[in-house]
Amino acid sequence: MTSIRALASSACAVAVASLCAFVAPAKAQTYPTRSITMIVPFAAGGPTDVVARIVTAHMAQTLGQSIIIENVVGAGGTTATTRAARAANDGYTLITGHMGTHAASVPLYPKLAYHPEKDFEPIALLAGTPILILARKDFPPKDLKEFVTYVKANAEKVNAAHAGVGSVSHVSCELLHSILDIKPVGVPFNGTGPAMNALVAGQVDYMCDQIVNAVPQINAGTIKAYAIATPERNPSLPNVPTTAEAGLPKFQAQAWNAMFAPKGTSAAIVATLNAAASKALDDETVKKRLLELGSVIPTPAERTPEALATLVKNEIAKWTPVLKPAT
Amino acid sequence: MDIFANLAHGFAVALSPINLLMCLIGALVGTLVGVLPGIGTIATVAMLLPITFGLPPVGALIMLAGIYYGAQYGGSTTSILVNIPGEATSVVTAIDGHQMAKQGRAGPALAIAAIGSFFAGCVATVLIAILGAPLTKLALAFGPAEYFSLMVLGLIFAVVLAKGSVLKAIAMIVFGLLLSMVGSDIETGASRMAFNIPELADGLGFATVAMGVFGFAEIIRNLDAGAEMNRDLVQQKITGLMPTRKDLKDSTPAILRGTVLGSILGILPGGGAVIASFAAYTLEKKLAKDPKRFGRGAIEGVAAPESANNAAAQTSFIPLLTLGIPPNAVMALMVGAMTIHGIVPGPQVMQKQPDLVWGMIASMWIGNLMLIIINLPLVGIWVRLLRVPYRLMFPSIVIFCAIGIYSVNNAPVDVILAGVFGLVGYWLIKHDFEPAPLLLGMVLGPLMEENLRRALLISRGDWSVFLTRPLSAVLLAIAASLLLLTVLPALRSKRDEVFTESEN
Amino acid sequence: MADTMGHSATTTRNTRLAIGFCLLAIAPQIFELIWSIGTIFGWGTGRGPVTVVTSHVTALLAGAPSAVFGSFGGGTKKMSSEVLLALIYSYPLFVVAILTLFMTVRSAQDYVGGVVLMALALFALWAGSDLQGMRGFSFGAGTAPRMFGGLLVALSAGIALTGLLTDGPAMAHYSWRGPLFVMAAIVFFALAIRPLGLVVTAFASFMIAATGSEETRWLEAAIVGACLTLGCAILFPYVLGLPMPMFPRFLIQ
Repeated sequence: MTSIRALASSACAVAVASLCAFVAPAKAQTYPTRSITMIVPFAAGGPTDVVARIVTAHMAQTLGQSIIIENVVGAGGTTATTRAARAANDGYTLITGHMGTHAASVPLYPKLAYHPEKDFEPIALLAGTPILILARKDFPPKDLKEFVTYVKANAEKVNAAHAGVGSVSHVSCELLHSILDIKPVGVPFNGTGPAMNALVAGQVDYMCDQIVNAVPQINAGTIKAYAIATPERNPSLPNVPTTAEAGLPKFQAQAWNAMFAPKGTSAAIVATLNAAASKALDDETVKKRLLELGSVIPTPAERTPEALATLVKNEIAKWTPVLKPAT
Repeated sequence: MDIFANLAHGFAVALSPINLLMCLIGALVGTLVGVLPGIGTIATVAMLLPITFGLPPVGALIMLAGIYYGAQYGGSTTSILVNIPGEATSVVTAIDGHQMAKQGRAGPALAIAAIGSFFAGCVATVLIAILGAPLTKLALAFGPAEYFSLMVLGLIFAVVLAKGSVLKAIAMIVFGLLLSMVGSDIETGASRMAFNIPELADGLGFATVAMGVFGFAEIIRNLDAGAEMNRDLVQQKITGLMPTRKDLKDSTPAILRGTVLGSILGILPGGGAVIASFAAYTLEKKLAKDPKRFGRGAIEGVAAPESANNAAAQTSFIPLLTLGIPPNAVMALMVGAMTIHGIVPGPQVMQKQPDLVWGMIASMWIGNLMLIIINLPLVGIWVRLLRVPYRLMFPSIVIFCAIGIYSVNNAPVDVILAGVFGLVGYWLIKHDFEPAPLLLGMVLGPLMEENLRRALLISRGDWSVFLTRPLSAVLLAIAASLLLLTVLPALRSKRDEVFTESEN
Repeated sequence: MADTMGHSATTTRNTRLAIGFCLLAIAPQIFELIWSIGTIFGWGTGRGPVTVVTSHVTALLAGAPSAVFGSFGGGTKKMSSEVLLALIYSYPLFVVAILTLFMTVRSAQDYVGGVVLMALALFALWAGSDLQGMRGFSFGAGTAPRMFGGLLVALSAGIALTGLLTDGPAMAHYSWRGPLFVMAAIVFFALAIRPLGLVVTAFASFMIAATGSEETRWLEAAIVGACLTLGCAILFPYVLGLPMPMFPRFLIQ
């Protein structure tokens, strides 16, 4: 019975939301007076999309307007980001970007039609996703130290998988390789699914990937994890050491999702949105869902627009030397 | 036995009223989406994903799965009625299906597609339940080298299914391959032949090209002076709605073979389902006593690929259910739906989420039953639709296609591109080129190139991997012999033709 | 097909074909010229028409020939994309056009089909000419496009050859009304959907497309078009949940 009620209530919610979208323009008041479009530069159901949906669902309640998610896929998310950069800066078109679209894209795409710093107003950091160093289950090295020596000694032989140029797995592995000062063969796959398939099947040796996809595979023993590239261990994988503990403190990488508005959006609107986003991140259900994904929830200090601006700046500085020679 | 206990549990879950309702909604929406030209499964599942967030996870996945295989049923409808394949897997169905419709046999074509799909769906569901785990090994045994060889085989199928000149068919495949190169390079990310058009950065969409060369081109051609005569003829010719006994007799072996091929190929992540439908068609054409009937309205040419693609649609769940790895874009979306509910599928999903896995398997069978119940009576309505005067039908199709293409990416440029491909398709028809091999080349092109490059990267440039890996070698051997079987007779007849001509 | 009209008919036919191929050979240049006219009015950010004309004319008349002769001298200067276009695309087609003058075309359908397909392949080769080739054992971005482009050139040459060697159908008849209005409807839809919304766009496109057939009865078409628009307006945004503008932008604000 409860499930029927749940269905009924959700159906009502959908109906109300669509009604809101329709009726809202009638009453002109303070921002927001109509529904907001949130561009997600990746496919529905992907990590960025999931984070955006969880957070915006709560923000919509705070703002009293529906937030419509529009997934625009293409060119590592840069197609959608270009569109968001050119959208009207009235606060009704926003984008949930990530490490790739708002930092790594700068060195990766020389002809990028936008600049993450110059064309966007940062709103808030939404979530961080730790990155792991993973390997096929019968890959000889037992821990990270052995891995480093093995990969350095066999740099000509090993194969690193990644989910396509510009993907988190690609750029983070490039960082690892630049720290180890090696250039192994990178085998590109079309997305994390096929890359993980190849790793499970033992067709490639190792890859760096976000925690979400990897946890069940690690727990089932189909692949193994050497380390997590964050300062602290993650509750979903308590047995996996951090890179600092395992002896490679320089390798620190985290995928992050953040909300941006086109440049020139008024400070008042940015403040309203930031407050709503921050409130969402404090909500227990939102927190629980994000934690289930293995995400790290930013502290209040990290959530301010200024902190996000600094993060973007630092990230661009971090990735540019790593990715420049690669292209 | 364990399996029966599991299945019984699954049916208990799937038969709960709420899940039955979800299954029905999924099947209905899937059929609707499949019937509307342009809107593909991926786009629909992506669009409806948010709605499922408020539902319990089992119900949500049952609904999404329903949309997925419902669209496979519906996709054949537009292929047969108006020659517009909505999915890569129904391209082959359009070849003979639309010819049947032109001969006034749209009813039997639609009915046999539904019957074949239902049978295949049932078999595949049982297969998932019994052999899911062992079959997973097949998915893992396929590395880049095997995929490349499979894609080569797939392209040979495209040559075989051509009804005209072999040379032209090969040229069309290569043209398709070339079109598939547009976009970003997978290894370097370099933009290829995209002319700085942002909408081209990720390549030409399948829907865009398919709507163009099939949908718009067909409309433009039908508007040619003198074509209305043929159309009126079609409307008078409409005969029975249901297949005759002879039709059933002809299609039974085709359905059986299609189911087997589809079930096996569906397990392979990536292009499995597409290749399955082409392979099934090719097999029927090669086995037929009179291969000339194919492309001119042979009912086996509808029965086999439709069974194959539906079987493949079902078995493609295997890697997801046993490994937790999504084998295609739709499955990736389902993983997204699961993660939003806090379930991250992995190798242990069967043990950890028995409700979900077995409920979904049971719901597939129920869904297939619902689909055949929905679809068989609909045949009458669809066929009646053919009686609508063409002068009203064609602008409607144009609008539906345009909205469909626009909705995929919300990109107006896609609509214009489809129009351009409509003109290309019209030109192709005028020069007697077939569009089906072109589309297959386009779908398989990226898979072939990527896997070739992956295989060579892993082998460090050693081309012999394709022959030293046994599975890959077998696939290539089949491809080579199939090509010989097709090209040799064609060459001989061509040469005879040349000689007889020059004697005159 | 027996040619009862005698020798002169074949010649005129071939001259027309040759002129057609010559036009095809400079089609991309003409297309860019037409496109560049827009920049006069401030649309787009491409080059102006004058620059386009001069750069292509120099490339066709001076740059490319000197590159051809220069290559014998071992010159490996980096060529501009205009010169490459002339070399890879236009020149081979000029050669085909000249050859056509001296050929007896036995199946125009195959011959023209082969040549146009070859033009497409050559164009693709040019479009991919800036891409990197093989790097050691690893494929570059340009390897596969070049492979398939080259293969398509060969295959289309084969098709064209069939058109010369075997008898076959002549050119099919093209009509203009259907393609024109269907394309117009599609282009109108693409341009209008964002600013004008679904309702206006769908109805207007329906009527434009309907103009493409002589059989259209206007009242009937208008009624069906209105019903269809209404159906779409309910089906797509509400049943399928597609985010789509419904009404013209200026009416909403």
